[in-house]
Amino acid sequence: MPLTMASSGERNVVKKIGGKDETRRFLESLGFVEGGHVTVIADMGGNLIVNVKDTRIALSKSMANRIMI
Amino acid sequence: MSIKIALAGNPNCGKTTMFNDLTGSNQFVGNWPGVTVEKKEGRLKGHKDVIITDLPGIYSLSPYTLEEVVTRNYIIHEKPDVIIDLVDGSNIERNLYLTTQLTEMGIPVVIALNMMDIVEKNGDQIDTRKLSQALGCEIIETSAIKGRGSKEAAERAIQIAREKSKTPHQHTFAEPVEQALASIEELIADRVPAESIRWFAVKLFERDEKVLAELSLPAALKSQAEDIITQCESQLDDDSESIITNERYEYIAGLISRCVRKKKTGLTTSDKIDKIVTNRWLALPIFAVVMILVYYISVSTIGDIVTNFTNDTLFGEWIAVPLESWLTAIGTQAWLIGLITEGIVGGVGAVLGFVPQMLVLFLFLCLLEDCGYMARVAFIMDRIFRRFGLSGKSFIPMLIGSGCGVPGIMASRTIEQDRDRKMTIMTTTFIPCGAKMPIVALIAGALFGGAWWVAPSAYFIGVAAVIVSGIILKKTKRFAGEPAPFVMELPAYHIPTVGNVLRGTWERGWSFIKKAGTVILLASIFVWFTKSFGMVGGSFGMVEDMDHSILAAIGSLIAPIFAPLGFGNWQSSVATVLGLVAKEEVVSVFGVLYGVAGDALEMVEQGAFGGLGSIAGHFTALSAYSFLIFNLLCAPCFAAIGAIKREMNNAGWTWFAIGYQTVFAYTVALIVYQLGLFISGGGFTLWTFVALLLLAGYLYLFFRKGYQGKQSLPVRSVKAASKA
Repeated sequence: MPLTMASSGERNVVKKIGGKDETRRFLESLGFVEGGHVTVIADMGGNLIVNVKDTRIALSKSMANRIMI
Repeated sequence: MSIKIALAGNPNCGKTTMFNDLTGSNQFVGNWPGVTVEKKEGRLKGHKDVIITDLPGIYSLSPYTLEEVVTRNYIIHEKPDVIIDLVDGSNIERNLYLTTQLTEMGIPVVIALNMMDIVEKNGDQIDTRKLSQALGCEIIETSAIKGRGSKEAAERAIQIAREKSKTPHQHTFAEPVEQALASIEELIADRVPAESIRWFAVKLFERDEKVLAELSLPAALKSQAEDIITQCESQLDDDSESIITNERYEYIAGLISRCVRKKKTGLTTSDKIDKIVTNRWLALPIFAVVMILVYYISVSTIGDIVTNFTNDTLFGEWIAVPLESWLTAIGTQAWLIGLITEGIVGGVGAVLGFVPQMLVLFLFLCLLEDCGYMARVAFIMDRIFRRFGLSGKSFIPMLIGSGCGVPGIMASRTIEQDRDRKMTIMTTTFIPCGAKMPIVALIAGALFGGAWWVAPSAYFIGVAAVIVSGIILKKTKRFAGEPAPFVMELPAYHIPTVGNVLRGTWERGWSFIKKAGTVILLASIFVWFTKSFGMVGGSFGMVEDMDHSILAAIGSLIAPIFAPLGFGNWQSSVATVLGLVAKEEVVSVFGVLYGVAGDALEMVEQGAFGGLGSIAGHFTALSAYSFLIFNLLCAPCFAAIGAIKREMNNAGWTWFAIGYQTVFAYTVALIVYQLGLFISGGGFTLWTFVALLLLAGYLYLFFRKGYQGKQSLPVRSVKAASKA
């Protein structure tokens, strides 16, 4: 399921990252990789703040939907 | 021999702090990623021959944003002697991703393991000896914010540069990838420098288009390489780029498990604050309260007190009065006294009087930036901005632009997508900057008796202009398409450091003061001369009646242009045109031209609106408001136009931006004035018709179905499709 559906505070494993190459590359350089962990910290109407590799990343809904967990 | 040291690392990991520490320079450090948008150079303190370059923060060397391109090009083409790679120890895993790329480039790397104070506070342990052995480069523990270790890192870097020792890359990828890379290396061995062959091999493997173009390999070689890559791809069942990314992270994960012991913690303090300030319901109210406080304090309370002091006491009693009596005492000619006291002290002083207020505003904005709240604001506003085609990242430039447009326009660099960035640059100056506030105050005071709603309405017009432009521009072919999805690293909150906040405040305030001393000084002298001299009765000389002056002649030439907007008199035209020099000029020109006894700006500040009667006589409430609208929205001052030109980096786009702003301002002011005139019983004229036509045009542009171009497929997927 997409990351937007994850409940806050739960640690999830990234299964797949979709989207255009450029976007995926950027997400990967930020630490979103298949097999990596991601935790949702805060949810603001679908826009998320997540914990990836100990950094906080803010994602808009459309971006979060590309990350499958 | 001079040595070039480059500081590289992730965004917001402390490069600029270390740069300031090493060079004694005064760059402002903000607590949001992307503060350094272009490289900056400085000399190492105590070493004349060592040049340090502060590079913009990047996450990787695959160019995604402008900053990444700047950094990558610098490293490839300028070849620094040594790179100091700043690694944020508190999120080491992500930071080492860049490190594995930097060590491939064949330039010696020294790692400054930064933010060690936070690492220690968190109770984490990093085995630097093991880590250094594994990565093959030296590691110095630092805490740039506390000034710890920076010097050692630099010394070590110099030593390494002198020894000319190399940093061989130590990390290896999975067997099939290594084999593929080795074969690619063989292919290109005589085409690239030996020390960076690994980097080129990896980039070719990833099919990096920029590198491919740069190497311009013969077709045969290319297809050989392509065979190697596709073979490896099918073996590992993934595309080459993801293979490399995963291999890097896998390597790092292994490294971390051996060298880093993390004390497990739950939510950090930053997370707890974020839970509140980015809460779905509380986020906007909290933001509103913060902004109201900032503006209330800087404009109404502290700022006002300090501004009154500068105007009345400093410029009034301490400078203007003694200066005039001294000039009279030494027998200076009357016209020269006039030039100095009226022209220069009056003109420049009017602007300088506003500096304290600006400084207070800048201080608050710097505080918000330094503590880390600004990055959250971008996140909070994203949902709203997206509705009219801008990303939340456009909000930071606009917020900063409410102080001054120049740093605001510069801040647009963090926006990755080209069209989003261009649109932000074009619309940022619609938000009234500090220098436009005097115009608002003057109009509110002179024509509306200081009505409370005029100032907020100016902000409202600015915001509405941004929204309307956003929607209209998004529907044109140039800007069509969704704004890039929002992704931004949120820095941990920290208590702002005094030095940094003061530095940032001063840096921005200083440009205001500098402006007063240069362009405004010249403009004041120009205005004074042209208004004092002219042709009377066929001979050139000083004029009594300003209507005969040179300035009046020039103004009268321009005035007809503004007639449909309701302010077609020469004084307003001159004020508007001189507003291009600096928006503060509008008010000081008004004061001089309408013969207001005393300093117009000062009267506005003191609320002594009675003295402004001579201005009120030239306007109706409607034409004054139209004047206000035009001046708020039209092309910004030269300094901001310069910033637009730098950021657009293209003459065509610069003209398009300025042209759009001016046409937009003109038409909106025209619509408001002419329709206002009609409604208030001015009769239906040709201009009313024009206004209605323009309004219909805007409504069409606003509501029409936007340009629906084909979404261009990224090059890679086109290739993949044609293969299949």
